[in-house]
Amino acid sequence: MIVTTLILGLVLGGTYALLALGLTLQYGIARIMNLAYGELTLIAAFGLVALFQQAGISPLLSLLVLPVLGYGLGWILYQGMMRPLVARSDGTGRLEVDSILATFGLLFLIQGLLLLAFGANFTSISYLDRGVSILGVSVALNRLIAFGICVLSGGALVWALNRTTWGLRMRAVALTPGSAPLVGIDVNRIARQGFAIGTALACVAGASISMYQTFSATGGVIFTMKALVIVIMGGVGNVPGALIAGLALGLLETFVATAIDPGLTLAATFTIFLAVLLWRPQGLFGARS
Amino acid sequence: MLEISNLRLSYGKHMALDGVSLGVEQGQMVVILGTNGAGKSSLLNAVGGRVRPASGAIRYKGRSQTDLAPHQLVEEGIALVPEGRGIFPALSVEENLHLGSLPERAHTGRAARMAEVFDLFPKLAQRRGQLAGTMSGGEQQMVAIGRALMSNPELLLLDEPSLGLAPIVVKEVFAALARIRSSGLTILIVEQNARATLNLADYAYLMEVGRISGQGAATDIKSDPAIVRAFLGGALAETH
Repeated sequence: MIVTTLILGLVLGGTYALLALGLTLQYGIARIMNLAYGELTLIAAFGLVALFQQAGISPLLSLLVLPVLGYGLGWILYQGMMRPLVARSDGTGRLEVDSILATFGLLFLIQGLLLLAFGANFTSISYLDRGVSILGVSVALNRLIAFGICVLSGGALVWALNRTTWGLRMRAVALTPGSAPLVGIDVNRIARQGFAIGTALACVAGASISMYQTFSATGGVIFTMKALVIVIMGGVGNVPGALIAGLALGLLETFVATAIDPGLTLAATFTIFLAVLLWRPQGLFGARS
Repeated sequence: MLEISNLRLSYGKHMALDGVSLGVEQGQMVVILGTNGAGKSSLLNAVGGRVRPASGAIRYKGRSQTDLAPHQLVEEGIALVPEGRGIFPALSVEENLHLGSLPERAHTGRAARMAEVFDLFPKLAQRRGQLAGTMSGGEQQMVAIGRALMSNPELLLLDEPSLGLAPIVVKEVFAALARIRSSGLTILIVEQNARATLNLADYAYLMEVGRISGQGAATDIKSDPAIVRAFLGGALAETH
């Protein structure tokens, strides 16, 4: 029972961690609080299902292609929609307010397009839906694959951020954007990359989730909210914090669903969220400032 | 190497630079002296691309500099150490220095330059893993200067490098400046510590409320009693 909860919780948490990683990158590096984040996830989820059902393209192939397309979409969104907001902000809190309002609009735009293209019904596919035994617990193969992808892409990102000069540039902009031009860093270019990579991660998460979960065109806000909860729990802009908080949230939800009642998972999530906001607004792993 | 002509710059209604012209020759160290609010930092920030002048020209190596973004100026060889240092406090000393060497012009000879910086500031070598923000003011200034040197600059802009430092640390910073100076790097510096700076510099400009009010060879400025009284006050009194 406990082992089951642990394994299923970790598998779910892996997806959550990746979901949150994209949002925290977009906020930490590009300084855009993206309320349409869940809709970007859904684009990839619907994309994977459509490619599978209409064209017979393997979801595993889609998992490689969709994030690349997501990077392109994020690049275009930043350049076309966010860049003007950044350009007219004067280093105050204005960008935060503007980006929240703008992406709130984007949320409904994407949602409308998804409704138009795919309708309002719940969607799911059956793919690699057989159980695999891990420590005596039967876990669906598609969930395991999704977990593996999340661990791989999340791990690769953390490694790149901490071990490469590319990552050093990213961290420099995230931590002290005002000083970045002094060392020849083009802040706009780095912010655009951060936003685009965040979108690519949203697509990885969305595509992975679509392999085992049902979803609908109006459900994006749940993804955004969960990612937001994890980001705030882990400390805004804190990448390892987001990974740990994501895994913790997966465990918590699985525990609540199995031990108490499945209907209470969302309530439990937001109880934790409120508690963190009230008592540790810097996040569970952030230093007090 | 640097030609500034008739530069004007204002923040709202406040005119910070009101028609400033000056020149820096290759290999020279030029100091700008003046009281607080005279526009010295504005001038340096304009050369470093941090603020845009309203009118006038800044020509660097014969080319207009004003249409380049600040991050491009680093690639052209202009390194600015701004007031307040502009380091990355949440990154380690080594990461700060590494960031300095990211511009393409600094790619070759990175290791040798790092060794030079560590030779100039041995403290940085001892504390390369420490977060820059946890260091003392003097050490942070060393990080800022070291990082600027890592970008393989041709023109070094220094804004008040000794501001807020303890006298003994000021001496350390000036000893380092003397060594940087003797390496032949072109330097434009704004500094309150007039005597020590004039001892190193070739040429000096005096600034008053956004204008150049006097100029001359550093040795002449140093020995002109009227200038000493009007501009430098007690700053030229013997300090060591």
